[in-house]
Amino acid sequence: MTVHVVLREEELAVGEARLVAVGERELVVYRLQDGFYALNNYCPHQGAPMLAGRVGGTNAPSDVYCYRYDRDGEIVRCPWHGWEFDIKSGRSLFSERVRVRSYPVVVEDGKVGIRI
Amino acid sequence: MAANAAYPIIDADIHNEQEDRALLPYLPEPWRSRVAGSGIGYAMSGYWSPVGVMRKDALPPNGARAGSVPELIVEQLIEPFQVEAAVLTGVVYNISTTHDPDYAAAICSAYNDYVAHEWLGKHPSFKAAIAVSTLDPELAAREIDRLAGHPGFVEVIISSAARFPLGQRYYHPIYAACERAGLPLAVHPGAEGGGLSTAPTAAGYPSRYLEWHTNLSQMFMAHLVSFVCEGVFVKFPGLKLVLVEGGVAWLAPLLWRLDKNYKALRSTVPWLTRLPSEYVRDHCYLTTQPIEEPDNPQHLADLFNMMDAENMLLYSSDYPHWDFDAPDKILRKLKPEARRKVFYDNARQLYRLG
Repeated sequence: MTVHVVLREEELAVGEARLVAVGERELVVYRLQDGFYALNNYCPHQGAPMLAGRVGGTNAPSDVYCYRYDRDGEIVRCPWHGWEFDIKSGRSLFSERVRVRSYPVVVEDGKVGIRI
Repeated sequence: MAANAAYPIIDADIHNEQEDRALLPYLPEPWRSRVAGSGIGYAMSGYWSPVGVMRKDALPPNGARAGSVPELIVEQLIEPFQVEAAVLTGVVYNISTTHDPDYAAAICSAYNDYVAHEWLGKHPSFKAAIAVSTLDPELAAREIDRLAGHPGFVEVIISSAARFPLGQRYYHPIYAACERAGLPLAVHPGAEGGGLSTAPTAAGYPSRYLEWHTNLSQMFMAHLVSFVCEGVFVKFPGLKLVLVEGGVAWLAPLLWRLDKNYKALRSTVPWLTRLPSEYVRDHCYLTTQPIEEPDNPQHLADLFNMMDAENMLLYSSDYPHWDFDAPDKILRKLKPEARRKVFYDNARQLYRLG
């Protein structure tokens, strides 16, 4: 496991995302309220670039005809087919088995690194 | 990224778009002033999707509509996937859910001229569908006759959102003209439930886009049964029908049911001298997108074995729409020879390309 430094903390504001390259890999680094997260720039469904996906919240599971908007800024939608993924874990919101690969992010001395 | 190194691809459904004002030079008065003043004014379904209609990465940086920049289509689709021919289907067939037959026919004519002048020469892969409105089938037939023989137009396209089932005799002038011109007829969804079309499902108006989109296959089932039972393929033996974007997995069970009923009720359709499914096999094609995706991909392959899928399917991407299917990511269970037919040979023969 190596930490690959990809940017400095101040380069990315909360709510922003940035495409970074680590070797052959294209990753998207997201800065959320509580820190940095990294996902593969590749949707497991048909390979769409996740960077182009809109980030927002979603309606959490609820009673019939109730809507509970939640997780604002923590959910990314694939830019093609609209599948929703949790940026913090890479998991899809519809199946335990479907996820975008996620990578641990390490922040040290203002440097944002990805552990691969 | 190339999907099939051994052979190129033909894409049967790409949605080129344009700003409404792009049609103005091709529109006569009084329609030009109408569009200049208030836009084309489609009557769409009204159903809302949180995903939107367009692929987010297909929006041109200059703020133009997705699908309106030929160079971007070439960059995102034609070149990476080695698309040898792309059938530009537009979106103008949706005009059939508006109300004035003369206006709808004028919009279609203007669009067809616009495509002929401003798209067909832009890339060697570009072919196009002649858009016609179903609001006046005689005017539609005249439009098909006008453009017949133009080498860039490879089919005629109409909306599946209609006032009544598409096999009925009211529409037959369109099918006669397609047969005269030697052009397949494509039927495409999109405006179901809008304007003067029927409710978008057999049960009426559902509450959400999720339900609306899922049930579009119902519309195609009803139209297909109508085409067969009304004797369209008997009356127009040269007509080929392309069912675009209506799903494919429903076909086999629908035909089982239709064939079974035919055995008892044949006398109500005495012009059908063969099983209904045989007319479908001889005259109909279905485009693949949005392909059904069961958790176990083998299940779809099994369904394909229950119909003549490898000879009836045409690959389509639906670029730049949200439910785009990448050619290298779907139908991986098909055997190589069947893949080649679906992604290339069937369309090449149907559209007489190459």
